[in-house]
Amino acid sequence: MASVAIGSGEQYNYDIVRKFTIMALIWGAVGMLVGVFIASELAWPFLNFDIPYITFGRLRPVHTGAVIFGFGGSALFATSYYIVQRTCQARLISNGMASFTFWGWQAIIVLAALGDVMGYSQGREYAEMEWPVDLLIAVVWVTYAIVYIGTIMKRKEPHIYVANWFYLSFILATALLHIFNNLAIPVSLTKSYPLFAGAQDAMTQWWYGHNAVGFFLTAAFLGMMYYFVPKQAGRPIYSYRLSIVHFWALIFMYMWAGSHHLHWTAIPDWTSTLAATFSIMLLMPSWGGMINGIMTMSGAWDKLRTDPIMRFLIVALSFYGMSTFEGPMMSLKDVNALSHYTDWTIGHVHSGALGWVAMISFGAIYHMLPRLWDTKMHSAKLINVHFWLATIGTLLYITAMWISGIMQGLMWRAYDDYGNLQYSFAESVAAMHPYYAMRALGGAVFLTGMLLMLYNCFMTIRQAKSMPAGGLAASAA
Amino acid sequence: MDHGKIEKNLGLMLVLTMFAISIGGLVEIVPLFFIKGTVEDVRNADGIKMVRPYSPLEQRGRDIYVREGCYLCHSQMIRPFRDESMRYGHYSLAAESQYDHPFQWGSKRTGPDLARVGKKYSNEWQVQHLIAPRSMVPESVMPNYPWLLTTALDTSDVADRMTALRVTGVPYSVNKAEFDNNVKEFGADVAKQLHIPDAQKNLIEQAQTGKYDGNAADVTEMDALVAYLQVLGTMVDFSKLDNDNFVKFR
Amino acid sequence: MEWLMWFTRFENTKPISLLIFFITFCAILFYVFGNKKRGERLESYKNMPLQDD
Repeated sequence: MASVAIGSGEQYNYDIVRKFTIMALIWGAVGMLVGVFIASELAWPFLNFDIPYITFGRLRPVHTGAVIFGFGGSALFATSYYIVQRTCQARLISNGMASFTFWGWQAIIVLAALGDVMGYSQGREYAEMEWPVDLLIAVVWVTYAIVYIGTIMKRKEPHIYVANWFYLSFILATALLHIFNNLAIPVSLTKSYPLFAGAQDAMTQWWYGHNAVGFFLTAAFLGMMYYFVPKQAGRPIYSYRLSIVHFWALIFMYMWAGSHHLHWTAIPDWTSTLAATFSIMLLMPSWGGMINGIMTMSGAWDKLRTDPIMRFLIVALSFYGMSTFEGPMMSLKDVNALSHYTDWTIGHVHSGALGWVAMISFGAIYHMLPRLWDTKMHSAKLINVHFWLATIGTLLYITAMWISGIMQGLMWRAYDDYGNLQYSFAESVAAMHPYYAMRALGGAVFLTGMLLMLYNCFMTIRQAKSMPAGGLAASAA
Repeated sequence: MDHGKIEKNLGLMLVLTMFAISIGGLVEIVPLFFIKGTVEDVRNADGIKMVRPYSPLEQRGRDIYVREGCYLCHSQMIRPFRDESMRYGHYSLAAESQYDHPFQWGSKRTGPDLARVGKKYSNEWQVQHLIAPRSMVPESVMPNYPWLLTTALDTSDVADRMTALRVTGVPYSVNKAEFDNNVKEFGADVAKQLHIPDAQKNLIEQAQTGKYDGNAADVTEMDALVAYLQVLGTMVDFSKLDNDNFVKFR
Repeated sequence: MEWLMWFTRFENTKPISLLIFFITFCAILFYVFGNKKRGERLESYKNMPLQDD
């Protein structure tokens, strides 16, 4: 790849962006495949096959790790390296360090997945990796921060573009969360005990868990949005002033909202009330981002008819708006009393993860790919098919989870005429079966779209390589 | 005052961002380590602490619970609602998980809450249910865990594990002074279980006398996991406590 | 550490925080949108991504 240095390829380090883009596609397919499999395990438990390594409890962290850190993480590395170079008009400060973040990050995803399957777990959601992997993450992350910040420092443009603010906050926050949530005393290479216990541990874990969503899956992807939406629409962002206000508000408020995952539990009431208050307020900065993105596209609506990438971006923003409305609503204590512990939470996460995170990444990758390989997409039609599969898959998924979640919540608290509980827990499990099957189907539809994308991108890269260098250089820009 | 300055000054932007993202955590988490009421001090009439650290066998069972990812489908946190107290028992106290590294409150109930599952079912039921859940509960979607019964428990590093937990603050004892203090806090029988030099001996003894997996001859992972499940939520005797006492902690 | 307890009482913290946040919010809005000239200056960077090709 590096030998074909075309046009801006010399000015910028695109090699690293290409590598991360390919891995984002591969981890997306792997992670979603595991997701469909574990969803099927819940619908048809014989699929656990009495094999320890593939039981739901061990594969679930493989799924979350592969999609959040493998797919999402690689997409963020790729887009952040792409954006920071182009908006700063500067090449990454070091090829070697950038390359280290690539190989280091891929090693982390593989080691984490192997550890999960083997049962080496810290028992903390989204932070199951044991301490040696945690240390590797810390080293890779610091290198990433140095490359990113260093590149901004040698920018030709005095101004730092808004997309970079979001990526910077994501890099800082992730470092902070990762370190404090993984403080642990090791017993051996594969076992450690967290430093904190009980209520304090719960608060630390959900401060991490919630802000992994807030910064890894939201702030960073907003950075992605702030570059690719204006780019694809061919119009500047709607309001730069709005982005200033909603940036500071978003990063400040997110950090307070974590304990809404612990409503009605044995933490002090004031922390949970405080978190609920901030969660409600968080609606404003969240919607600030959505409005800014959608309004950027207004006036370019005609493009929606012809440009499937625009469709991905607008639907991503719509799902972002929807789930950032749903989130504050679920953080109200009374709603949470019903929704917590149910599939509603899972549905909410996936309306954000599939609808927002994955869709905006798809849009960004479809935008970057022809520019990175200096060619055209193999098939525009397949992008369109992917779009519809992704949308239908997401809708099937979240609808199934809404129904099953609310139904669970209502069945658990239903009383008969004599004031006894109306349903045994097992009855509520049995009632979930059709919706678990529907969820698995929705996931499978979404996965099919992902596989189409993988194929489409693979063919694009293959056709680019078989072409004479610089063949499409003029038309790709 | 000009926001443009921040937009052009990377150092300033990094400092301000760090400031903005630090406040929330500082305000909400740090006080929990200092405010006494966060974790209740639950004692019986003799002043003995009701909630004790896990015995070596129970702790090893807990490790298996964590290893298999049970927390992804089972919560261990009963909320103060009528339906939950009818289904599961008294709402959970912070004190009941004060020695839980990591906490396993969970976030999802694909299966029922397990905070007070201890002593609800017999050892035989638990073993059979873990080997083949659908033979006991036909509607269940839980995986079978047959290998727990056939895998011998690795007891060799139990002292190392307890030593690591001791560093985090769990009052396992290594010397006479610490042991005596545990006798005062938890009573003599419990204190023996918390003594690290005797850990392996205590573990094997509990597994053999407890017959958790129905077989006294060997110590399996099933012994450990069932021992853990059977102690869950049983430490605090609510019949001996004034319920109103807990309300002020919530 | 007793003085920290003051902050755990909602009758104290609710009005205080409401006041602080509301004033901050208004000040930010006024700063960002209140002055036309400043507004134009803040908006002047929005074309950056379109100029990078």
